[in-house]
Amino acid sequence: MTVTLRDVRMIYGTGTRQVRALDDVTVDFPPGAFHAVMGPSGSGKSTLLHCAAGLERPTAGAVSVGGTDLGGLNETALTRLRRDRIGFVFQAFNLVSSLSAAQNVALPLRLAGHRPTPERVAGALDAVGLADRAGHRPSELSGGQQQRVAIARALITAPAVVFADEPTGALDNRSSRQVLHLLRRLADEHRQTIVMVTHDPVAAAVADRVLMLADGRLVDEVADLDAVAIAARVTELELAC
Amino acid sequence: MLTRDRLGTFVAVLLGTAIVAATLVLLTSARPRLPDRFADLAVLVQSPAAANRPDAFAEPVPWPAGTAERLAGRLRAVPGVRAVVEDRPFYAQPVRSGRPVPGHTVGYGWSDVTGRLLDGSPPAGDRDVVVDRALGVPVGGTVTLLTASGPAPWRVTGHVGTAAVFVSGPVAARLSPGVRVLGVAGRPDPAAVRSVVGGDGTVLTGDRRAEVEPRADARTRWIGLQVLTATTALAGFAGVFLAASTSAFAVSQRRREIGLLRAVGATPRQVRAMLYRSALLVGAAASALGVGLGVLAAHLLAGRLVHAGIEPAGYTVRWWTWAPAAAFAAGPLVALLGTAAAARRASRIGPLEAMRAAEVEKRPMTRLRWLAGLAAAAAGTAAAVATAVASDVSDLAQYSMLGAMALVVAATLLAPVVIPALVGVLLRPVRGVLGMLVRESALTAVRRTASTAAPVLLTVAFAVFVTGTVQTSTAAYAARRAATVDAAAVLVPDGTPGLHDAAAGRATLRTQVYVAGTAVPALGSADLPPGTALAAPTGAGRVTVTYPDGVAETLRVTGPAPPETELVLPRASVRAHDPSALAPAAFLPARPAVTAPGAEVVDAATYAARTDTEDDRLVWTFTLLLLAVSAGAGALAVANTLLMSARQRIGDYRVLRLSGATPGQVALTAALESALVVAIGSLLGIGTALLALIGSAQSLAAQSGRAVPVVVPWPLVACVVAGCLVVAVAAGALPARAARG
Ligand SMILES: Nc1ncnc2c1ncn2[C@@H]1O[C@H](COP(=O)(O)OP(=O)(O)OP(=O)(O)O)[C@@H](O)[C@H]1O
Ligand SMILES: [Mg+2]
Repeated sequence: MTVTLRDVRMIYGTGTRQVRALDDVTVDFPPGAFHAVMGPSGSGKSTLLHCAAGLERPTAGAVSVGGTDLGGLNETALTRLRRDRIGFVFQAFNLVSSLSAAQNVALPLRLAGHRPTPERVAGALDAVGLADRAGHRPSELSGGQQQRVAIARALITAPAVVFADEPTGALDNRSSRQVLHLLRRLADEHRQTIVMVTHDPVAAAVADRVLMLADGRLVDEVADLDAVAIAARVTELELAC
Repeated sequence: MLTRDRLGTFVAVLLGTAIVAATLVLLTSARPRLPDRFADLAVLVQSPAAANRPDAFAEPVPWPAGTAERLAGRLRAVPGVRAVVEDRPFYAQPVRSGRPVPGHTVGYGWSDVTGRLLDGSPPAGDRDVVVDRALGVPVGGTVTLLTASGPAPWRVTGHVGTAAVFVSGPVAARLSPGVRVLGVAGRPDPAAVRSVVGGDGTVLTGDRRAEVEPRADARTRWIGLQVLTATTALAGFAGVFLAASTSAFAVSQRRREIGLLRAVGATPRQVRAMLYRSALLVGAAASALGVGLGVLAAHLLAGRLVHAGIEPAGYTVRWWTWAPAAAFAAGPLVALLGTAAAARRASRIGPLEAMRAAEVEKRPMTRLRWLAGLAAAAAGTAAAVATAVASDVSDLAQYSMLGAMALVVAATLLAPVVIPALVGVLLRPVRGVLGMLVRESALTAVRRTASTAAPVLLTVAFAVFVTGTVQTSTAAYAARRAATVDAAAVLVPDGTPGLHDAAAGRATLRTQVYVAGTAVPALGSADLPPGTALAAPTGAGRVTVTYPDGVAETLRVTGPAPPETELVLPRASVRAHDPSALAPAAFLPARPAVTAPGAEVVDAATYAARTDTEDDRLVWTFTLLLLAVSAGAGALAVANTLLMSARQRIGDYRVLRLSGATPGQVALTAALESALVVAIGSLLGIGTALLALIGSAQSLAAQSGRAVPVVVPWPLVACVVAGCLVVAVAAGALPARAARG
């Protein structure tokens, strides 16, 4: 399913404290592809993801998911669309602290009025390598493990689009490779659209296409580069800023 | 979900339903009770009712002796009637060791049908009496009885087991010539009795016989009803108020979690439903426990209420399933109402709230909060104005109570506007880093500060308002009385309902007469010539009064009655037609050397300031009851909100420890924060209550045409504030200790 952003502008604050987080960004995320978004800290990557996922309404411009214009939806309709078609992994604070890992994973389905089988929840946790932690609460999990529970939760509804904000930021090499492979497979085998923000050139190299963001503007777009080449581009960009 | 935050609502609903259940059970138990002496009589005939409003509690118009005789004669002829008893109560009080026996103030004519002798024989002679065996006077011994004419020795001929004395029929007919109830013994057909009585009286059978209970008992029960209703209303209000402030609190603490739920697919409606469902569950659980506690409390309280004189003797808890059922239903309702505003706010939380690191209040005052706060303030002011123009005392009480409630809501909603200024003033003397910490944490979360202060505000406002209202009106009445007393010494009753003739032979008597079928309180003054009267509105013409013995007389009105009096009659006439009439007080030009039993001498100022009249005492008892209920609920609520907020503050305290604060400094910070909250709540509460009080004082002033100063029992209020402070500091400092590690 295609996610389209047209002239999306996002302005935070007013007066002198005004910040232009996105500056007329136009971009398409076609289905079945793995997209990476890179850029310096504060360049608007998270904001771009929030707008594309319908978590936040842009100041100006239009966002559509699978042909539906998000601007025309009320809060409830928007929530339903998000619940049914979009998975999201936040940069941090992903889990409801009073619920166990399994309960957190089951949450989107429960909210949609379904009662997922324990096998389905276990399968989702197994896919992120946490089958043995189903009963643990977030406070009993490491930062990386919490992140993987959040990924399992984003995937359990088999969403058409998955947005992930630095999903591997807190993971070691091995787990990080696992997560990247998982996302790659979703794109290849299930034709899901994956949009991932990352600072890691190695992670970005797994993607089909890398978007470079600076000061809220799309400044570059590369495809099929290896990690070394991507790292070079990023360095260039950071120097230019 | 949100399990940890259910405690606040639980406590609020528990308190609310416990009080509502207890008061409802007590309320529904208060029903008329058939006096014991009529227990064996199947049919009672009562004299015609007075034309007064029901809440005047006027005794029915008595039959004159002749009418009663003739009616009794007709009744005796009805088939199945075994005997007809004329009920003749009068004032008679035994004296034991020189002092009148308290509460033992009534005598009756003896009848074998209604009385049961334990030993001895019925009274026959003019000075014969049957007394309670508990008095300890043997058969054949002598007892001193006070009647309206004064003390006299009586010969005891027998004993009974009730707190009353019984004299022979002729003596009773002299002491109580008018008759209000005829008791019919036997098994007559009620229809036959009705046709014999006709329009001369009311025939009562079965449960309706209880309607002959003394009107004073009915009045006591009615006052009890008013107070218990006020307590129920207050408990319901406090329950909703506390549930609202704790759930608003819970929602602001759970912002991030709710945001996350929204992000993973919960619709605003689902968030609302989740909070409502949780409120319903918590409400039902708390309600079940609360009703249980309330019913238990009702049983314990019933005896105390009789003891305090709020309910007539013989009052017991009765079972009506609907009362606990209604209280049970109130629980979830209270929880839902309390959650409504918070749920609305929670459903507005956006999915990205999950990303905000800490709760940063953007605007302490939302537009809705302004609107609701100003609306409540307007309602409170309107009620205060209504209070100020109210002419009826019961309207006055209702308006001022409503006004106080509205003002409390307004003060809570608008508190964030004044909190920054209050914090600045209150913390001025606290210097150094701790002062800064406390100030900043109170100022960055003004709404949190406002909602933790809310229960203190409620508690203190009600303490000031309720006790202040009572003391202000008592003081106003005392001032009015003092202005009219012009005597060196005042003779007042001592352990008796009034002064008898031997103590004060010329003192003004108090009685009740009937004018055109309406009961009117009247005085019997020795200064009035026979055949004349002073009457309130006209001051001229003629007035026909029916005396308590049922005899009517037409008097010439020679002038207007003094203020607050409706009718003044010649003392001799009153004495002749009401042998039980007593004088409330006697004003003397000099202190007498000796006084008769049942009277004591006080100076004019003491007399005016006396608040031990029966009504004042009842009202003060009620006041303390209300105060205990609201202060108890308030203290728990204060502890509850502070514990809830302390959990959130624990992180901050830990950071403080890590940055080098000693455990003592952390505990001091926590204590300071709690004390600040109590100070803010108390100041706002006192201010609010004073506003409402000024409204009712103006009303009283308008009524009496004299300035009425606002009187507040500050020591009592100080106790309430101190209680809140102790609870708050404990609730704040305990979790701070947990941050030691
Ligand atoms: N809620 C907000 N209010 C005000 N400014 C904000 C808000 N969210 C983001 N910003 C600002 O918008 C800009 C873009 O922020 P964004 O979070 O999108 O950056 P980012 O590229 O994700 O950075 P990082 O790599 O550090 O996560 C930043 O300057 C940030 O300060
Ligand atoms: Mg970011």
